[in-house]
Amino acid sequence: MLSASEIHFCVKQRPIVDQASLSLEAGEILAVLGPNGAGKSTLFKILTGDVPCKRGEIGYNGCPLHQLKSKQLAQIRAVMPQHSEVNFPFTAKEVIELGLIACRSSQPQKLLRDVMELTQTTSLQNQQFQHLSGGERQRVQLARVLVQIWEKKPFTRYLLLDEPTSALDIAQQHTVLQILQQLKDRNIGVLVILHDLNLAAQYADRVLLLKNGMIEACGPTTDVLTEKTLSKVFDHPVTVMIHPITGRKIISTDHFYRNPSQNINKAYYGNSI
Amino acid sequence: MSSFSKSIALSTSKAILLGGMGMLLLVIGVFSLSKGAFEISPLQSLAILLSDTGWIAEAYTNQQANVLLQIRLPRIILATLVGGGLGIAGAAMQGLFRNPLVEPGLIGVSSGSALFAVIYLVLLPGLSSISWTQQVGLPLFAFIGGFIHVIAVYLLSKGSGKARTSNLILAGVAINALAGALIGLTLFYSDDAALRSFTFWSLGDLGGATWQKIPTAILLILVPAALLLNQSTHLNAMSLGEQEAFHLGINVSQLKIKLLILTALIVGVSVSLTGMIGFVGLVVPHLIRISFGADHKLLLPASFLVGAILLNLADLVARTIAIPAELPIGVITALLGAPFFIYLISTFNQTKS
Repeated sequence: MLSASEIHFCVKQRPIVDQASLSLEAGEILAVLGPNGAGKSTLFKILTGDVPCKRGEIGYNGCPLHQLKSKQLAQIRAVMPQHSEVNFPFTAKEVIELGLIACRSSQPQKLLRDVMELTQTTSLQNQQFQHLSGGERQRVQLARVLVQIWEKKPFTRYLLLDEPTSALDIAQQHTVLQILQQLKDRNIGVLVILHDLNLAAQYADRVLLLKNGMIEACGPTTDVLTEKTLSKVFDHPVTVMIHPITGRKIISTDHFYRNPSQNINKAYYGNSI
Repeated sequence: MSSFSKSIALSTSKAILLGGMGMLLLVIGVFSLSKGAFEISPLQSLAILLSDTGWIAEAYTNQQANVLLQIRLPRIILATLVGGGLGIAGAAMQGLFRNPLVEPGLIGVSSGSALFAVIYLVLLPGLSSISWTQQVGLPLFAFIGGFIHVIAVYLLSKGSGKARTSNLILAGVAINALAGALIGLTLFYSDDAALRSFTFWSLGDLGGATWQKIPTAILLILVPAALLLNQSTHLNAMSLGEQEAFHLGINVSQLKIKLLILTALIVGVSVSLTGMIGFVGLVVPHLIRISFGADHKLLLPASFLVGAILLNLADLVARTIAIPAELPIGVITALLGAPFFIYLISTFNQTKS
């Protein structure tokens, strides 16, 4: 289990992450949602070990984060940051192969083949990374982080992703999240920051809502994604419906305010009528 | 141990490529041995070199043997070590700074080394007159100067996130100017002979090569270069970014310190032996990246070999273009390197925008 208890992080005495506690189990997808500036990325960097956090405890499989060396940590968790720039003319395959540094695979070639097939990067492997499109780069980076934790191990591993779908078209967004779903039976826990509420609604097992550094809600997807909570967290009206086929929630972001008790409806339409 | 062998392991094609470069270096070395003010044919050169084996390809005089063994051979070995050292140090620095415009001379490491070397020679004559301290003390001082400068440039360029590249170049310009002025000032307070040697520090000179310098060069250039080879996988990871390298399990701060020490050592010692030879560390890694890709497993050893080839060729031109006079070797490398650098900046800006 990846656990964080009461982590608190301030910049110039302003809390960016405020007393946050969370846990991530093997075989689940936890989506982290929240408005811009809510502290998602900071929370993410604290969990990955990039930003040291003095207050609060973070543990990977029961071992405190600060006691793990970077090499040990790399065998337990892989990270896909939002942007990765490569300044030199590496090929896509060379970038993906970097994932092997941490994993010490006995069959590296097979491992690479499997992951490239899964991420649909096989055809890109000999192209220069710098020349790829934004979406292709994201898939190559995903392949790299998957290589790091792909092989089955006796201990739980974790994959943390910061908006992995930001440059992808809708088909590829779903491909990526379906790949993340497949990690469940590989004894891997997935924490993913998403911008798209509907992707979270369709794929996440649990959702964590963050606002102003504080966890507003954290629980099973259907419990957390309600009109009331989402409107409050995003300061914007939403409508939640049920998908007729999947039975999952669909979130529609509205351009009008639906709550008559707050009497904002009139204010909204006052000018235009 | 497994990670060590993995980081060294190369595909066959790359191994053949490196072997070819090594052969080319040998051929150029032998060719270069036979050229100069004093005529020795390539076959005679081979005969002199292999005289211990009893194989005599062609007759030669004792004078020819002396010129070859005492003057040209140490010079060519020194050119190989310094050229190779500058090449591999340039490649490693570019990897560390994640910036293809970095070069030891450009960012001020060479002039930092030169400054400390001049200070040592002029202000501490007591120390430098004892022969054994000159062999060790001068390179050591040059290393300290280079190390201080590379750290200063690194910190300056890290300062404000986005403008890193321009900061890096500007910091280098400032430090170059400062070191140049301080070298001039130091020389101003020394005798006339020192003034002449300013040319040596600013443009580089292989003419002072003797066998006494070779052990220092092997120990303090070749050994750090070999240690750099071992960092190739980690440098590959650094190309993704420091954060990503950490995610891949690399102790980034430790790696940075290692790389800074090794590169400053190579550059500092090179400067103390041959003065500032510019642009080798910039041009060579680029040529290899353009032709064979950015993988440091190939880039680092190839930079060493091509750097050695390039400096030997430049030295050959410097020695033979105006016989019996010699051009400073830095003139040749700068004539080749400066236009190349301008070309790089123009293409670099295009890819950025």
